[in-house]
Amino acid sequence: MELSRRSFLTAMGLGTATVVAGCSTTNGATSPAADPTGPVAGDITFLCALFEGTTGKETLEGNLLKQFNEKYPDVNVTVDYTDYGSLNEKITTGLASGLMPDVVTLGVGWIPPFAYKNAIAPLPESLATRYTYEERVLEPSRFDGQLYALPMVLDTRIVAYRKDFFEEAGITDTPKDWAELREIAKELTVRDGGTVTRVGFDPFSIDLRQCWETFLFGNSGELFSADGREVLFDSPEGVASLQLFLDMVADGSADFALTTEAGQPTTLQQGTSAIMMTNNSLYVQLQQQSPELVDKIGTFVLGNTTPAMLQGGTMVSQSATSKNPAAARALVEFMGSPDAVLVASEQRGSVPAILDLKDSDYVKSNPMVEFAINNLDKARSEGGTPAWMEIREKIKPTLETAIVGQQSAQQAIDQLAGIANDAIARL
Amino acid sequence: MAVVSAPRDVSAPPATPSRSPAPRRRRAGAARRRAGMLMVAPAFLHALIWIGIPVIAAFVLSFTDYDVLTQPRFNGIQNYVDALSDPVFRRGMVNTLVYAFFTVPVAMGIALLIALMLDTQLRARALFRTAVFIPQVTATIAVALVWLWIYDPRSGLLNAVLGFFGIPAQNWLSSTTWAMPSVIAVGIWQGIGLKMLIYLAALQSLPKDVYEAASVDGASKTRQFFSITLPLLKPATFFVFVTSVISAFQAFDLIYILTDGGPANTTTMMTYEIYKSAFREFRVGYACAQSIILFVFLLLLTLANRRLNGGDSGRH
Repeated sequence: MELSRRSFLTAMGLGTATVVAGCSTTNGATSPAADPTGPVAGDITFLCALFEGTTGKETLEGNLLKQFNEKYPDVNVTVDYTDYGSLNEKITTGLASGLMPDVVTLGVGWIPPFAYKNAIAPLPESLATRYTYEERVLEPSRFDGQLYALPMVLDTRIVAYRKDFFEEAGITDTPKDWAELREIAKELTVRDGGTVTRVGFDPFSIDLRQCWETFLFGNSGELFSADGREVLFDSPEGVASLQLFLDMVADGSADFALTTEAGQPTTLQQGTSAIMMTNNSLYVQLQQQSPELVDKIGTFVLGNTTPAMLQGGTMVSQSATSKNPAAARALVEFMGSPDAVLVASEQRGSVPAILDLKDSDYVKSNPMVEFAINNLDKARSEGGTPAWMEIREKIKPTLETAIVGQQSAQQAIDQLAGIANDAIARL
Repeated sequence: MAVVSAPRDVSAPPATPSRSPAPRRRRAGAARRRAGMLMVAPAFLHALIWIGIPVIAAFVLSFTDYDVLTQPRFNGIQNYVDALSDPVFRRGMVNTLVYAFFTVPVAMGIALLIALMLDTQLRARALFRTAVFIPQVTATIAVALVWLWIYDPRSGLLNAVLGFFGIPAQNWLSSTTWAMPSVIAVGIWQGIGLKMLIYLAALQSLPKDVYEAASVDGASKTRQFFSITLPLLKPATFFVFVTSVISAFQAFDLIYILTDGGPANTTTMMTYEIYKSAFREFRVGYACAQSIILFVFLLLLTLANRRLNGGDSGRH
């Protein structure tokens, strides 16, 4: 068939009309309908980035949701399992198709963007006080002073070190600031000829964005202003945090290439690093892969001018467009309760978000989780602006340009600040 | 559907004066057109729903700041301005061109060479054909995971082999120097199978009498290859080139698994940036504009190739 100008224009017109018609339909973003006062009944969907694998599914559906259904027999929950890598896609496609799940798990930093666009429903403040929370844990669940999510599990970024390497070098104390960190890292770096076989410090085995944020907070820096409208990380503190990595790479005590490969034991376990940035779930990994190292690895919170521990995690929130908001709210409340939080934490080796669980057997049996929960007063979170979803994706590749020597730390931070300012200006 | 016309009796007078041959031909032609349209309808509807409407929707949305959370707002050509001034997307364009430049001709050359070898009376040629084609039908995620191990700087196969010959180990995927060549190598390896299959089918359909005549005239095998085989393979080459370029421009899964576009955007591609804009940053309108730019790239390359090769008709 030959495409004539007339048929082309007709097709374009029809397509435009279709798209415009699609655009003009009312979506939840403009008319939140999450009134939770109706009957707790109906079918709801739960997009869940926790409870991975067969064991996780059995834990959620065979245990937790059975408890939920005993209390709310008229609610039918369909679970859509995902992982963090696919969570964004699932939410995007769900929103675009008008099939946003009634209840959704979100990451730290995600609440302001979704709340700002009215995609999630506010929760009553009473839910923030029914159990004991560290205020810093609740911070990422809020936007404009309102509660939008309940924290479930936390994944903290801590510093782990090999006690045996410290002992061999006669080092008795963990570093108190960056100067001590650099000194100790240099001392613990091992070379075979010209090749580094053990780095003193491995900051690159966790996401570079989260690592840099930890150091930014530890240097008394901030990401954004309180209202999320002003970029603050382009401060001397932000540049110095990135410059620290560059300096350590330059003196050989850190190596961008010597990192933990996916699915493999960490550099600390392999003995190719003496100190590393890691996640509290390392303890479970040690038990499974290197039980002989369990007693040889210690943890500490590092800071330069103030101790800071980055707090990631998973929160549960209610869609603003749920057709059964009362049922959705009931599930959010249930998933944020100690029973569900403890089970989810145990399954992942994570830190329970509720302080009341501090004395639970699980926390007592996991030294890294216990260490993290005891230091939650030093916890800091990423995000804080409605433009976070766009900005977060740009941080790692932009910082990497400085690490690999394509530009200076100052230039990389300036470039990132430009990107962030543009994103905020588009709000 | 069969369209049967009435037997034509030239000796008998027409039943009615109005039933002249011309209207009958017109009716038969109309019936054939209707039948043709009916037969084409399912494929047309499928293409309209799954290709036509989404393409038009993408085009329209590319002029909006649609973020799936709120309704689209018209913003003119701002997305195109942003895309063309975004250093990372521009880097993705360059990387995509580099990836296509190396994967397409190199893989085509290797595929043709293998096809020529497998077109002979080689022993166990079915086994070799299968072996060459397997990467094409293997899930890219499996391919990428195997290559992740091969490229592993500490326990990978490649560095182990290099070490055996005394060559120092490299950080294949985390070095700004080696990441792109490493991805290109996997792309070439994975793309050879299908190209080889198309070339093999084309080689087997070449007329034997032309070669016999050339042999009688004393043409060497090399002369036969350059003067007969290559020109006769022109339609196949055009097809392989166009599909390979499109495939190279759509490279995504390898990048997603092997490098995540890094380090420092060294291996990011246009498709990967489109994916990130739409699904990680929620900038769907912007991603649509990036997609339209990719489409224009592909269209221009296809038209240029058609012009350079004199089309796919095989004229030479």
